[in-house]
Amino acid sequence: MALRSLNLPGVGTKYEFETDKGDTVAIFFTKTGIIQLYTLQKGCKTPSAAEMSPVEARRLGNILTGAIIEADQESVEIAFSALADLRITIHTFFVTPAVVGKTIEELQIRAKTGTTVIAVCRHDRNIINPPPTFAFEKGDAALVIGESDQIKTFEREIMVN
Amino acid sequence: MEGFIIALFVCMVLALISKYLSIPAIPFYILAGVILGKAGLGVVHSDEISRFFSEMGLLFLLFFMGLELKLERIIANPSKVLKGGFIGLTIDMGIGFIAAYLLGFSLMESFIVGAAFYITSTAIVITSLIENRKLMFKETETIIWVTIFEDIVLIVILALLSASDQNLLFFFAKIALALVFMYGISYYGKEFLVSILDRDDEIPILFTFAAVLTTASFALLLGIPETLMVIALGAALATTDPDAFEQHARPFKDVFLVMFFVFFGVTIDFSGGVDWFIISVICSLAIVSKLISGMLIGLTLHGSALSGLEIWSNTISRGEFSIALAVLYGSPVIATTIAALVIVTSIVGSFTAKYSTWLRRGIVSRSRKKALMHRPH
Repeated sequence: MALRSLNLPGVGTKYEFETDKGDTVAIFFTKTGIIQLYTLQKGCKTPSAAEMSPVEARRLGNILTGAIIEADQESVEIAFSALADLRITIHTFFVTPAVVGKTIEELQIRAKTGTTVIAVCRHDRNIINPPPTFAFEKGDAALVIGESDQIKTFEREIMVN
Repeated sequence: MEGFIIALFVCMVLALISKYLSIPAIPFYILAGVILGKAGLGVVHSDEISRFFSEMGLLFLLFFMGLELKLERIIANPSKVLKGGFIGLTIDMGIGFIAAYLLGFSLMESFIVGAAFYITSTAIVITSLIENRKLMFKETETIIWVTIFEDIVLIVILALLSASDQNLLFFFAKIALALVFMYGISYYGKEFLVSILDRDDEIPILFTFAAVLTTASFALLLGIPETLMVIALGAALATTDPDAFEQHARPFKDVFLVMFFVFFGVTIDFSGGVDWFIISVICSLAIVSKLISGMLIGLTLHGSALSGLEIWSNTISRGEFSIALAVLYGSPVIATTIAALVIVTSIVGSFTAKYSTWLRRGIVSRSRKKALMHRPH
C-alpha cells in the first residue's frame, strides 16, 4: 500500500493509494474547501465519487479509524504506528448529574481510571487543560483522553456512579 | 454610474442561474455586456469607473495566475508538461493562426486571434473537472499540466507583444531588474511577509491589494508592461505563502473579473461589421482543433484515443485569457470574433465535459458489440 501525494496546481492536494486487493482510493482536498473521495474497483474503468464538506470528511475519518460514533458523543482514535502501535482515544462526554458540582480532584479521575480531562466545553467556550480544582457544571461537555479500556472505565466509574 | 449598478445586478442574477445549471458563468457575463452595451440596448456605457474596475479585474486575474505558476514543479517533471504542451501549442495555435490569416486578418491580428484560439480557460477547465468529479481520471493530470504550459506561453506572448516597439536590450534589462527586486523582497522579507499575512485584521487584505496596485503603477512608470509585472509579482510572492495571498486576493479577483467580462461585452462594437462567416469558421475550427490536439496528446501520453476524447471534451472552453488578449491587443473586429469564440466554446465545452463519460461509454459498448458480432460462431 504505497501512498502517493501530489499537489495539483489550481486544484489542490491529491492522496492516492492502492489496496492489497488492487482497488484504488483517491482523496482530493480542493482549494474550494470541499473534499472528494474516489474509489476505483480493480478492473473497472470509471471511478465513483463522493463529495464531502470538511465536517463530513472528518466524520468519515473518525469512522474509518474504528472509533464509535453515537448521536452526539463521539470519539477519535489515533494510532501511532511508529510507537509500537500506540492507540490513544479521545472521547467526548456530556456530564451526568453524578459529577455536577464536583471537582476533578474530588472525583479522583486520574487515580481511578488513568484518563485525563483535557478540555471542557461550557456555553460554547472551551476551557483547555482544566486544573484539578475545576468543578463541573450542568451542561458541560468534557473531552477525555486515554486508552480505550481506560475510557470505558471512566464511563462506568465516573459518569454513572 | 446607474448603468454600472444595472450591470452588477444583472451579473448577480446570471451567476445564480449559471451556478444552478452548473455551467460556466463567463459566457453569460459577456452576453449580458453585449446586450446591455453599445452593440445592444445601449443602457450601459463604459466610463472611467468601469474602465478602472475592468483593469483591476485583469490585474488580479494575472496576479492569481502568477501565484499558481509553480515553476519548480515544471522543472521537476518537464517531459510530462512539455510533450502535451508542445502538441497543443503547435496544433491549436497553428490552426488558429493559419485560419485567421486565410480569412483575411493581417499577420499581427492573426497572431492575436491564434493565441486567443489556443489558450483554454484554466478557470472553466478546473471548475468543471471538480464539478463533474473527474479528478481521479488519469487524463486530469495531463489536462492540468497542459493548461499550466499554456499559462507560460501566454506570458511569452505578452512579453513579445509588448516588447515589439521598444529597445529590446533596455526593455529586458528593466524587466530583469524588476524581477530581481521582487524576488529579493520575497526572499529576504519572507518572515515579515508571513507575519503580515497571519494577522486577523484588515492588514493582510489591504497589503495584498496595495502590492498589486503598486506593482502595476511602478511598471507603468518604468515603461514595462504591468501585465507581466503583476504575473511576476504573483510568482515571487508564491515563494512565501501562496495560499494566504490567494485567500486575500480572491474577493478582489471575483468581483473585478466579473466587471471585466461584462465591460468587455459592453465595449463590443458591431459598427465595424460582423462577419458571421468568419465567426462560425473560427468557432467550429476551435472545437475541431482541440479534438485533433487532444487526440494526439491522448495517443502520445496515454496511448489511447479514448483518453484523447476525454482530454478534448474537457479543454474546449476558451475564456478569461482569450478575452485578456482581445482587451489588450485586439481591434473591434478581433474583439467581436474572440467574444463569439469564448461564448460558443465555453458553452459547448461545458456540455462535452459533462457528458464525456456517456460518450466514452457509448463508444466502448458499440465497439464491444461490433467485436461480438464479428466473433466466429
